[in-house]
Amino acid sequence: MSSQQNRRLVKRFSKTAIFVHWLNALAFFMLYLTGLPLYTEYFHWLYIILGSAENAMILHRIFAVVFMTPLIIALIFDRQSLVHWLRQIFTWKKHDFKFFMPFAKEFFGLHSDVPKQDFYNAGEKLNSLLQLSMGFILVISGVILWFDQFFSASAVQWAFVFHNIGFALAIAVVVGHVYLSVGHPNSRVSMKGMTKGDVPVDYARDHHGRWYDELKEKEKQKNKGA
Amino acid sequence: MGQYRMLVDVTKCIGCYSCRVACQMENDLPPDQSYISFCEVEKGEYPNVEWVMHRFSCLHCEDAVCEKVCPQNAISYSQTGAVVVDQEQCIGCEYCEKNCPFGRAKVELCQDKEGNSVSRANKCTLCNGKVLEGMTPACASTCYTEAIVFGESDEILQKAEQRLAEVKDRYPDANIYNPEGVGGTHTIYLLAHKPEEYDLESDATTPASAIIWKDYAQPLGKLLLGATTMAVIGGAISNRLFNKGEHHEGGE
Repeated sequence: MSSQQNRRLVKRFSKTAIFVHWLNALAFFMLYLTGLPLYTEYFHWLYIILGSAENAMILHRIFAVVFMTPLIIALIFDRQSLVHWLRQIFTWKKHDFKFFMPFAKEFFGLHSDVPKQDFYNAGEKLNSLLQLSMGFILVISGVILWFDQFFSASAVQWAFVFHNIGFALAIAVVVGHVYLSVGHPNSRVSMKGMTKGDVPVDYARDHHGRWYDELKEKEKQKNKGA
Repeated sequence: MGQYRMLVDVTKCIGCYSCRVACQMENDLPPDQSYISFCEVEKGEYPNVEWVMHRFSCLHCEDAVCEKVCPQNAISYSQTGAVVVDQEQCIGCEYCEKNCPFGRAKVELCQDKEGNSVSRANKCTLCNGKVLEGMTPACASTCYTEAIVFGESDEILQKAEQRLAEVKDRYPDANIYNPEGVGGTHTIYLLAHKPEEYDLESDATTPASAIIWKDYAQPLGKLLLGATTMAVIGGAISNRLFNKGEHHEGGE
């Protein structure tokens, strides 16, 4: 790889996209921390850190409201990124399905050839789909649990089940998502995309080959036009 | 220590409320709180009127849903057969209240040790402390029509059958309410009419949601979280081993 190209950056995420991502992350983790002691008794000590179980319950409700805002903010201020994201995560082609086996090898530090990926790779697509669907399940069941006086006893009882399942599926993938962005040596450079908004061109080429090809195609046409 | 049971014979109850008062005194409850409440319905038209009532409180299920769903393990089975709440462990999350098939577990404002008002599960304990000392629950020892009787589990079941036989000609629909769906209960009723007339479900059972939630979803969820966490730790370690010092920013 040429060192000159290495320094070149390309825009990946808009300011709004970055903001809603981190707002969502903050709400997610606060909801997770305030809900965890109810999920497993190994985390009852979190009540001491949070002051009391009552504090945990209040914080859980505050961040529940925060958790619902990112989608609305994106819808108002950056519909383009939102639509692009939704369109991408619901598009699954051969190269997406073929992502996972070689990815597993690379995850554990072995060399492997992952097929060229879109703007969002198949792992990011899967994480997004899970977060989106679990988000809906958690919000709907959460509203039923919060405003239980308006719902039947069995609706409330089933809301407990769905809140529980949503919690488990959402966090299980997030563990990997966080590790890949801050821990894994090959992919942690992607974090710059979610902080400054730009990623190195080399990163785009190696991890999101199909997006890189699109960018090159666009550049060519621009040059032609000029 | 053998297990105990309480029989509430509604055919003998005259609705004097003295069990309720005895309960409040025994448990030091304010006038507006009690572990016993009364369900009263007027049935029929004059002159054939009947006052259908029963005194209700926690039934002390053999397989208690509240015990199953409590995230604090604050609800447990006593050796007497009672289902009891440890209010110091309770955080007032209302899981028990929302999942009780009988609507008998209640979360109310209680006083904690320091005298603060806190939301806690608050329900009949079958006077567990008294029974452990060899005494009879306050409501049973107060009831002077002997509508409430307390004793060894099997003896009370026999007594219930005996009384059922006695009242069968007066109340052809009479039945013993001891729902199998929750494994039987430690407070059973001799009802004069069908359970539905007392707002009781004859086939009350552990909700399927509670079984899916606590026996399947939660253990699997913990397993899943454990598995991905282990994969990440394993990945971090193996990356150290295989990729020593040759991390390439943004390339492979």
